[in-house]
Amino acid sequence: MTAAAETTTIHGDRVSLLRVLGPAHVWALGVGIVLVGEFTGWNFSADKGGTLAALIVCWVVGLLYTSVAMIDSEVTSTVAAAGGQYAQAKHIVGPLMAFNVALFLVFAYTMLEVSDAILLGDTIVAKAGVDGLTHNSFIAATIVVLAWLNYRGVLMTLNVNFVITAIAYVSIIILFFSVSPWTQGAVLKLNELVTPGNALPYGWIGVIAAFQFGIWYYLGIEGTTQAAEEVRSPARSLPYGTMAGMITLLIAAAMTWYVCASLMPWEYLGITPYPLWDAGKLTGSPLLENLLFVATLLAAIASANGCINDAARAWFSLGRDRYLPSWFSAVHPKYRTPYRSILFLLPIALAFAFIADLNQAITFSILSGVLQYTFMSINIMMFRKKWPLGTIRRGYTHPFHPLPAIVLFCLCVVTFFAIFLGFGSQLIAMIAFYFLISVWFHFYRYKFVRRGDQFSMPWPKPQGY
Amino acid sequence: MWMALSYACWGISIVLALWMLYDWFKVDTTYSEDVLTSSREGELEAASEKHRI
Amino acid sequence: MSRYTPPEQSKTGQIFDIVVVVVAIFVALWLPLKLGLAGAAKSIDALDAKTWEALGQNPTMASIWEKLGYTPETAHDVIQNRFHYVIDWPTLVVMAVVLIGYFVFLFRASDREYRDVINEKFDDK
Repeated sequence: MTAAAETTTIHGDRVSLLRVLGPAHVWALGVGIVLVGEFTGWNFSADKGGTLAALIVCWVVGLLYTSVAMIDSEVTSTVAAAGGQYAQAKHIVGPLMAFNVALFLVFAYTMLEVSDAILLGDTIVAKAGVDGLTHNSFIAATIVVLAWLNYRGVLMTLNVNFVITAIAYVSIIILFFSVSPWTQGAVLKLNELVTPGNALPYGWIGVIAAFQFGIWYYLGIEGTTQAAEEVRSPARSLPYGTMAGMITLLIAAAMTWYVCASLMPWEYLGITPYPLWDAGKLTGSPLLENLLFVATLLAAIASANGCINDAARAWFSLGRDRYLPSWFSAVHPKYRTPYRSILFLLPIALAFAFIADLNQAITFSILSGVLQYTFMSINIMMFRKKWPLGTIRRGYTHPFHPLPAIVLFCLCVVTFFAIFLGFGSQLIAMIAFYFLISVWFHFYRYKFVRRGDQFSMPWPKPQGY
Repeated sequence: MWMALSYACWGISIVLALWMLYDWFKVDTTYSEDVLTSSREGELEAASEKHRI
Repeated sequence: MSRYTPPEQSKTGQIFDIVVVVVAIFVALWLPLKLGLAGAAKSIDALDAKTWEALGQNPTMASIWEKLGYTPETAHDVIQNRFHYVIDWPTLVVMAVVLIGYFVFLFRASDREYRDVINEKFDDK
């Protein structure tokens, strides 16, 4: 504390991130990132295993993410720092784990941002139908404009996210109710499109393979924790915003599946890049078609926006602890944002948006996500063991421990197997990368890190140490 | 119309990118590195202590 | 236990570290794309008779395909493009070993570093 006080007197005020956000912003950050998954991505699970497989994984993966949200809410309402799961790993497992978790986060979000930008570009190009029009300019504009918005301040960024996420969400509800979901046969023809013969075209292995893209229904909801240092009362707002977000998404996922499965044959549903926009087209109403077109763009923008926010926070935290050069830990004195991290990640996102395709970018993102969920299931066990209930103040305590952790771990194993079925060599390449960079960190980079200072929570000594 | 939109997108991207570079340069030359990187984890606790003083 | 004071890193050292990380990111993400490793095995099971019936589409499905602008000829490549799930056991074993090995290394090395952190943090007081 004396060191801190000295800095304060010598340099005047310290520059830190700004605490301005409420629960609605947390909801907007979480749901904003994820909702694009209903507009593209989830339907690739129908390609992998058929329409019924898409519904099964919607529920089972929903269970996985409910566990994620519960576990995350407990840990993060206690460890409230920018970097979210990174700060959790640092306090509970150790520095190397934290370094890896931060990389999972940066990769998952940056690749998700890339997918969003590609989706937005492709959607506009498909709508325009003009020869010679490529998606590059729209990709560049999405990434640069949103980086600029993030650069200028977190409050505005998430206010924008709240509005556009809400519009996109409402459009799903409008679509749902305008196809008279209570009567089959008029617009919706579920029993003619999903028959016993084609519901599971590949059998149960198809259901397992579908897990890979089932993740996309909800991927990113755990990003709410990145806002921990900018939320006015993290212990209350984070669990509240995350849980509300999860409920919102479960409803949206169920409605999306029902409408799309009742409007398209599974072979088409599995390959279209914009299932909801197509659903709008197939209703025959120009109004719905245009509404869903705009909603697809808005969902992509909201998601990319939240991703820039989250990836930059994670990168910033790495710099602040000197896991990476401390240069990245600069906070903009006027806008109070991690501006160097935002600028650094911008060209990386742009480069991948230009060279990768949608399917691949999504897979990169899913891979990093699943690695992180595996960590979370082990992390919560260690958290409860090192600081049993009652030894520290928790903002929220999740029920049925250790059941959610076990469920989460088992579902992660299934998902790894699903990724193996489709993208095995990519998985091995990525693990090789994480392994090598971990070796680099453990044996070289870690020497620049202060030891005791990394533990910044006012907690007692963990049990067993 | 779509082509014009496409060019407008390039335009906006370049202008905003240049603005961010300019602002980055301005901030980095105006403030010292110590001030810019003075953020610390667990600031909430530190901030409340500061208020009591 | 004495406090560990890390060395100050020079400017060039910082820049070098950033370059290492960026290169690693690009190699890990870009190389699989370049080598064509990414993407699942999908191949077209060609059919001779290109009618909606032969493609297994009932009248409702056929009407939707037509609404989307497909004919049986153009839809053939979409519908018959199927996954062929085969479990390649050696690759699966390699993947499992790599994955488990990675996590074991992570947790063990982290624990060693964590003990230092805890010692320094709580013995200083």
